Amino acid sequence: MTSRTLTSILSAAAFAATLAGLSASPGAAKEPEIVAVVKIEGIPWFNRFAEGVKQAGADLHVKATQVGPAQADPAQQVKIIEDLIAKGVDAIVVVPNDAKVLEPVFERARAKGIVVVTHESPDQKGADWDVETIDNKKFAEEVFQKFADLTGGKGEFGLFVGGLTVPLHNYWADTGLAYLKDKYPDLKPVADRLPVGESLDDSFKATQDLLKAHPNLKGIVGFGSQGPIAAAHVLQQQGLVGKVAVVGTVLPKQAAPYLKDGALNAGFLWDPKDAGYAAVAVAKKVLDKKPIEPGFELPGLGKADVDPAKRQIKFDQIKTFTANNAASFGF
Amino acid sequence: MSDGLRLDSLLLALLIALSAGFTLALGSDFASLATFQSIAFQLPELGLLSLAMMVAMLSGGIDLSIVAIANLAALAAATALVGFGPNPAGLWLGPLLGLAVAALAGAVNGGLVAWSGLSPILATLSTMTLYGGAALGLSRGGVVAGFPPAILWLGNGSVAGVPAPLVVFAAAALAVGVVLSATPFGVAVRMIGSNERAVRYAGVDTASVILRVYLLSGVLAGVAGLVMLARFNSAKAGSGDSYLLLTILAAVLGGVDPSGGRGRTTSLILALLVLQVIASGFNLLEVSAYLTLVTWGAVLLAVIARPALARAFLRRPETST
Repeated sequence: MTSRTLTSILSAAAFAATLAGLSASPGAAKEPEIVAVVKIEGIPWFNRFAEGVKQAGADLHVKATQVGPAQADPAQQVKIIEDLIAKGVDAIVVVPNDAKVLEPVFERARAKGIVVVTHESPDQKGADWDVETIDNKKFAEEVFQKFADLTGGKGEFGLFVGGLTVPLHNYWADTGLAYLKDKYPDLKPVADRLPVGESLDDSFKATQDLLKAHPNLKGIVGFGSQGPIAAAHVLQQQGLVGKVAVVGTVLPKQAAPYLKDGALNAGFLWDPKDAGYAAVAVAKKVLDKKPIEPGFELPGLGKADVDPAKRQIKFDQIKTFTANNAASFGF
Repeated sequence: MSDGLRLDSLLLALLIALSAGFTLALGSDFASLATFQSIAFQLPELGLLSLAMMVAMLSGGIDLSIVAIANLAALAAATALVGFGPNPAGLWLGPLLGLAVAALAGAVNGGLVAWSGLSPILATLSTMTLYGGAALGLSRGGVVAGFPPAILWLGNGSVAGVPAPLVVFAAAALAVGVVLSATPFGVAVRMIGSNERAVRYAGVDTASVILRVYLLSGVLAGVAGLVMLARFNSAKAGSGDSYLLLTILAAVLGGVDPSGGRGRTTSLILALLVLQVIASGFNLLEVSAYLTLVTWGAVLLAVIARPALARAFLRRPETST
């Protein structure tokens, strides 16, 4: 038994040596370290976000990296941030899975002098700044205005969100519905918003059910990257392209074929690369103790709308995808 | 139990080797008080849930509803805490209500397993869905948040440098350890895990023991829920969902026999430490979170396949332990 214990210690030591080989680059110059913590690792959206983080790192001479949990669970994000606090990084950029859950750990980070910048989390408590690349109210109104144009401002439609607890999607839905009520009172949702927008399968079924239950359906507005795609696909299958309008949030690469054949009328989004870049740049500004004032500007993103009271920095970078331009975006 | 001790020495060796490896790779980034505090803050939630899972597994069962119970209890406590507002009575009644809800949920599990003849995996799968759905329905998917500082301290404060959640976990682990190893109930749980029928024929009221097993599992899950509530300053249906399978991973790595009867609290704690050190080390190295999962899986495989590997490579005659 002792020899067996010895073997296990030896093999464990070998494992340890392998780990040592993984060693990060020896901390050469004293570049500040900014780490982005995203909702989940390894999906196209956040791979694109990482490009912005990386580019900001190169442009601004900071060590900027990105990490994220394997599951989109806020508890896992807290753990990662706790480890980063222990490591003593200079700033963190966080795209929260849940704004509330992160409050206490943000406070602990800031107590240690770590700068905290969030994205996609307006009204985040505990952060130094929240950076948005779109004006959410304007975004919602643009989507619903386009939809009203397509449908002639009359009729019934279906509405998808990614989940009933996803703050942004529900904010867009609330804002958009209020906008319609005001301007196009004859354009009405047939049912409550359906929480299917992040799943291709669920959106697919929901679209089929809506079309069956409401033969006069004029269109579908989908928030969550899969909702509009699935709806457009159903229209293609059932030969309803051109009769039912579809607009919503999509990734341009995925949406290009549907935009081309008209099943999807228009896609709206922002470029996560811009967001990653802007968030890191804002963190660097704070680290440099430079003030962020109205008129704050970043290359490629233009002037921001700065609200010092709400600690919010808003760029206006709504991207509209059409049949002509969808293929030209790099994501 | 020499087998258990051997597992402990293996896990301890692994832990030392991992710590040494990460120290070599990261230097003072890893070998620092801050890292150990970070680990000590992170361990308790999963630790408490793993204790809950271990208790059920020892009896030859499983409790898939622990995370759902934790969230349901946290939501009940949170609603009460917010309802009481500044009234100090809420500080006691809120958590107490949470634990009562957890105990009730656990007792329902126990009743189902003990008397309905449903297998534990099916019974707790159903209640997991039921409790999770109830939590989602009652909270409408929203977050209940904003608690008094005394509650937040439970999740984020420290006693002489030791994080408060770790104190809670240590107390729970000690209590569970004592109950399982030094009380007639503990003996009965293990025996039921080994051979329920034999225990029943020996005149033990197995149904009542099983009821109490799931009651205990539920209460431990409730404590985990309260710690999560305090750590996150919020309660929400579905938070920590990713913990469920990890608790089984931790329990099995800690030598809990999936078919029941065997398992020790010390080994479980060592296993939790191994998992946490791997996760924290990789986080500090900023390598992919998927590498953490891969390594966890590989470590688990290596540890549970150890007897077979030893037989294959050492070609020793089988010695009884």
